[in-house]
Amino acid sequence: MKHSQFKRRTFGLFFVVALLPSLVMAAAWYSASQLTADGMGIAVVIVLMVFGLSTAVIFSFIFASLLARPVRRIHQAALQLAGDKNNPANTSTKPQGELEETIYALKRASEHLEQKVSETSSEMALIEAERNKLRSVLNSMSDGVFALDDDGRIVLFNHAASVLTGRSVGAVAGQLAEKVLPFRRNGELVMTRWLASQLGTDNKRGSWKGLELYRADGTSLFVDVQAMVLKDDPNGIRALVTFHDLTSEHKLEEMKVDFVALAAHELRTPITEIRGYLDIMQHEPIGLRPVGRDLVERTVASVAQLSGLINNILGVSRIEHGEMNYQPELINWHDFLKEIEPQLVERARQSDRKLSFKVSTKLPLVMVDPIGMKEVMMNLINNAIDHTESGTGKIEVTSKLVDHEIETSVVDNGTGIPGEAVQHLFTKFFRYEGLKSTRGTGLGLYICKSIVEEHGGYIWVETKLGQGSNFTFRLPTKTKLAGQRPTSDTSNVTRGIHGWIKNSSLRRGR
Amino acid sequence: MAGSKTVLFVEDDKPISEMYARALTRAGYKVDFAYNGDEALRILSTEQYDLILLDIMMPGKTGIEVLQSLRGPDGKGAAKTKIIILTNLAQKKASLEALKAQADGYIIKADIVPSQLVEVVGKLI
Repeated sequence: MKHSQFKRRTFGLFFVVALLPSLVMAAAWYSASQLTADGMGIAVVIVLMVFGLSTAVIFSFIFASLLARPVRRIHQAALQLAGDKNNPANTSTKPQGELEETIYALKRASEHLEQKVSETSSEMALIEAERNKLRSVLNSMSDGVFALDDDGRIVLFNHAASVLTGRSVGAVAGQLAEKVLPFRRNGELVMTRWLASQLGTDNKRGSWKGLELYRADGTSLFVDVQAMVLKDDPNGIRALVTFHDLTSEHKLEEMKVDFVALAAHELRTPITEIRGYLDIMQHEPIGLRPVGRDLVERTVASVAQLSGLINNILGVSRIEHGEMNYQPELINWHDFLKEIEPQLVERARQSDRKLSFKVSTKLPLVMVDPIGMKEVMMNLINNAIDHTESGTGKIEVTSKLVDHEIETSVVDNGTGIPGEAVQHLFTKFFRYEGLKSTRGTGLGLYICKSIVEEHGGYIWVETKLGQGSNFTFRLPTKTKLAGQRPTSDTSNVTRGIHGWIKNSSLRRGR
Repeated sequence: MAGSKTVLFVEDDKPISEMYARALTRAGYKVDFAYNGDEALRILSTEQYDLILLDIMMPGKTGIEVLQSLRGPDGKGAAKTKIIILTNLAQKKASLEALKAQADGYIIKADIVPSQLVEVVGKLI
């Protein structure tokens, strides 16, 4: 135990204070005994003085100890506050004694505190500044941003989200997102459904194009939506959703499609006539020499291509307006491909490409719209023709059963597609400008995808630059369309590429 | 051969009907023309045809209206006549309407060349 200066001083003080009255008493006794000349006087004085002395010592010790204990505690606490623990000797100016040490320690502790407080407040200012920065970034974004908690309730809602949806932060905070911000495609809550399916996953992202969102005033927006799922977020955020207003682009796109469709429709009549008269030239003996026949044949090929383009434009317009009107029927896929094979082979031959078919005979029946499927095959073949070289171009169609699905591939030995273009291939109006051939409207693959998906199937591409591409689609043998019953009246008609004829109307005996 | 089989071509676009009629005539059919629905009904009130090729979008009565009045209760005596809609309307609605009004066929003009039309007609009459 450290030597206590405070205790020593206190002891001294009490000792003096306690000794003085005993001395005074002794002196008084002595004076009194002198006056009475009593021989016992000296002895009594000595006894009194010894008694006084020892009482003074005992009391001084007790009081000093009582007083020193709390002071020692204060001292220790002050040292600790100052951050020196039990070792004030570290400091440069060495304080003398506990009290000075305590004062010194308290002084340093207060300095320490002051420093801490100023540090903390500058940190708080920094945090506040960061928070303001984030808030202004969030609120100055033109995209709507909101966050959801575990229950799908809105916990964050930025300014753009508020402006775009016409709803205030107060009106949506704590509300279920699917109630106040229902993003729909064809009436379905696609995003909410996806979020629900991603429960417990982390860092998954989903994105949707052209979803419809009703504003508070009843008008609707077309938006692109992106959502990210978070797991174990310390702030309790379960999903972060951003949406981008595409209403004006969407309207523009609609106008573009409508205008182009109108123009395409007007073009159909003269093209019908050109095709018709070329057909008459080929079938009537009008005295064409071989060179003339060849020229007519070339013209027929070009017109076929032209009407293919126009059909695509009209096809997109139908897709956009939800008027695809597929009439599925149970067909034999092998027979279907064999039926369209001659026409496609001829189309390739006219362009000086070699087209061959390798179709498995062991395919189950499939519920599809034959006209739609012919459009898919025509587009894939035309695409392959456009991206192969005349003369050396080879295209092969294969079809087989894989995992209960009918898989059909169109493989070519053409230019292939660069990686950066692959992801955009199936989008509307996309054409890769880097390619030598930029023929076509950029609609063919979009139409293929729409038709295949409408049948519950899917399409993809494998490609290698300079080596060729492999476009493959799969059709489930139990399709989405299979659930629909064919229109009862159409069951007794024969549907061909150009329309339908009632079976009962066909001439008997043929 | 088609022999004396007769066809009434109801179409407001003259070049189109003449083009198809040329191939039909060469194949041995006798082809008459009407350029709107009312004219077609007038002709049909006195004449009998084996086949009517009927456009939909025409001035005045539409092809569907002509079809309905021909196949309706006061059927103008066209019960034995085959009727094919020949149009560029590819909408399912029009096609179903034609089927309901008892057309014998529905053909998209842009998808059929004259020689193919001759082939289809040959299967019907």
